[in-house]
Amino acid sequence: MPIHEKSLIRPENIKTKENLIVEGIDVSGHWSTFIESRAVTDYNEELQEEIGALPGGEFIHRCWQCGSCTNACTVHAIEPRFNPRYWIYLIRMGYESELVRDKDIIWQCVSCNKCTYACPRDVVPEGVMKATAHWLELKGYTEKSPSTIFDEEFSRQIIARGKIEDTEVLHKFLHKTKQPLMQDWLVTIGRNIAMRLPVKWGLKMMWAQVFKPKTKDWAKSRKAIEDYIIEQDAHHRHALKLDAPKSKATAHQPKLHAAE
Amino acid sequence: MTKPILIVGGGPAGLAAAHAAASLGHASVLVEKMDRLGGAPILSGYAKLVPSHEWAKDAIGGMVTRVEQSPSIAVVKNAKVKAFEGTPGNFRATLTNGEAYDVGAAILTTGFTHFDSINKPEWGFGTFPDVVTTTQVEQMISSGKGVKCPSDGRKPKRVAILLCVGSRDRQIGREWCSKICCTVSANMAMEIREELPDCHVYIYYMDIRTFGHYEAEYYWKSQEEFKVKYIKARIAEVTGDGKQLFVKGEDTLVKRPITIPFDMVVHAIGMDPNVDNMTLSAVFGVDLHKHGFIGRKDAYGVMGATSRAGVFVAGAAIGPETIDDSIAQASAATMSAIASLRGTIPQAVE
Repeated sequence: MPIHEKSLIRPENIKTKENLIVEGIDVSGHWSTFIESRAVTDYNEELQEEIGALPGGEFIHRCWQCGSCTNACTVHAIEPRFNPRYWIYLIRMGYESELVRDKDIIWQCVSCNKCTYACPRDVVPEGVMKATAHWLELKGYTEKSPSTIFDEEFSRQIIARGKIEDTEVLHKFLHKTKQPLMQDWLVTIGRNIAMRLPVKWGLKMMWAQVFKPKTKDWAKSRKAIEDYIIEQDAHHRHALKLDAPKSKATAHQPKLHAAE
Repeated sequence: MTKPILIVGGGPAGLAAAHAAASLGHASVLVEKMDRLGGAPILSGYAKLVPSHEWAKDAIGGMVTRVEQSPSIAVVKNAKVKAFEGTPGNFRATLTNGEAYDVGAAILTTGFTHFDSINKPEWGFGTFPDVVTTTQVEQMISSGKGVKCPSDGRKPKRVAILLCVGSRDRQIGREWCSKICCTVSANMAMEIREELPDCHVYIYYMDIRTFGHYEAEYYWKSQEEFKVKYIKARIAEVTGDGKQLFVKGEDTLVKRPITIPFDMVVHAIGMDPNVDNMTLSAVFGVDLHKHGFIGRKDAYGVMGATSRAGVFVAGAAIGPETIDDSIAQASAATMSAIASLRGTIPQAVE
């Protein structure tokens, strides 16, 4: 439901007691139904600081609520509940519980960046959406999204070897997201490749799958990337007042296999 | 020899008018009812001024010195004009201190009176000590004592600034925008954040009217560099429990009622017509604007003309005005006054 059509009374705010006696008078029945207050009773100043500390959220405090982002938004056009302007406001004022109510919509940003070009104050709403989705994940409000799982496998291979093995990325992604490997579209692609690919290339592909080659002299680059990821992760966790990861193994990125 | 010009009121407009006359080699008599020159910025102890960021005592102080040292300006303090009789070029002004001056014209630079927040009792001024006005906060800053809650001297952790207190409110007969309060509040919010970095400042607004260059330098800067938060809500009431204040209203952007605790609430008070305007109107025989400010004859005729020939007006006496524009208007009114004495308006010769 769009913001301007939001019901003032939420089902969970309607409280009915089977039997209720108020000041000696039995008010059971219709008179025992109450609606809890909608009034906001405090601001949480930490929320803006936390999301502002994550990549993409840096300029959230510039927002003056003109609504250009929501008006430009690709997703809003088909899902009226997707409202960047509204979420930015909730974050700025610290209405955390309100923000978390929309946790299953916020990650749906398609990063088209129309909002980025519409925004007169350079808030970069697309970045704020990314930071907010990241925040929801770090705080444990949402599961890792499929795209995060894909990105993690992709970057795990890059970090380990300096290159990716396409079939392995796909295989691991499907496995981790509990999807079957034998999907019609995938089988068709596989069959077509097998039929048209020159034999020499096919053999090369199979060899790569077994031996997983690395980029030459990759170790130094890998060390630098790992250090950066650990540093950034620690920085984000500190900003969100989360426990620091105990070791590399529990860092946001998956474990990096030294043997590879 | 033409007679001097009478200038009534020693604020920025009056100081500018006297200086303008002196620059043109014309004598003037500057009458000020208080014991010092400078007007509201000095008498009310303003801190740093918009847009120069200069301290009021330095910026206006310079204007005062310039006037007091001028040989062609007679400054009369602690006096008001009791009677003003005669015709253009030939007036006699009698002061409350018994003196009388023969003058050729008069410029009213009588300014405004700060809105008295007691007239909006629902916003807690006069009931809760930690509800203060922008003028009081200006004084906290300019005196060097710092921003503190008057009740117990603690440094506030959260401050609310309520805009349009005494402006844009038909309930209390104030249908005008006081023009400067948005910018002053944005500036004040930055000053508070600078002094107390742990203190969060919220501004409750209906519209933000930081016109012209004030937009980037005050409104945007306060958000982008000082993280001041703006909430679109006109506050319904301010209450308190002895420890904290509670600001009640509706956050219109999320369509939710709000009851938010604060340590200090600041009223961004507007500009009322000078409380003496009824008297001034009678003494000088000038018509008042329908809202009680001093009326102008027209917008684009003789600059600063009032309904009485030979009597001119400039600055916040006409309506809410910035210091810069008051100075400009005063310079223009001085030109009109001198022109009226010299008879320099050319006549067409067939």
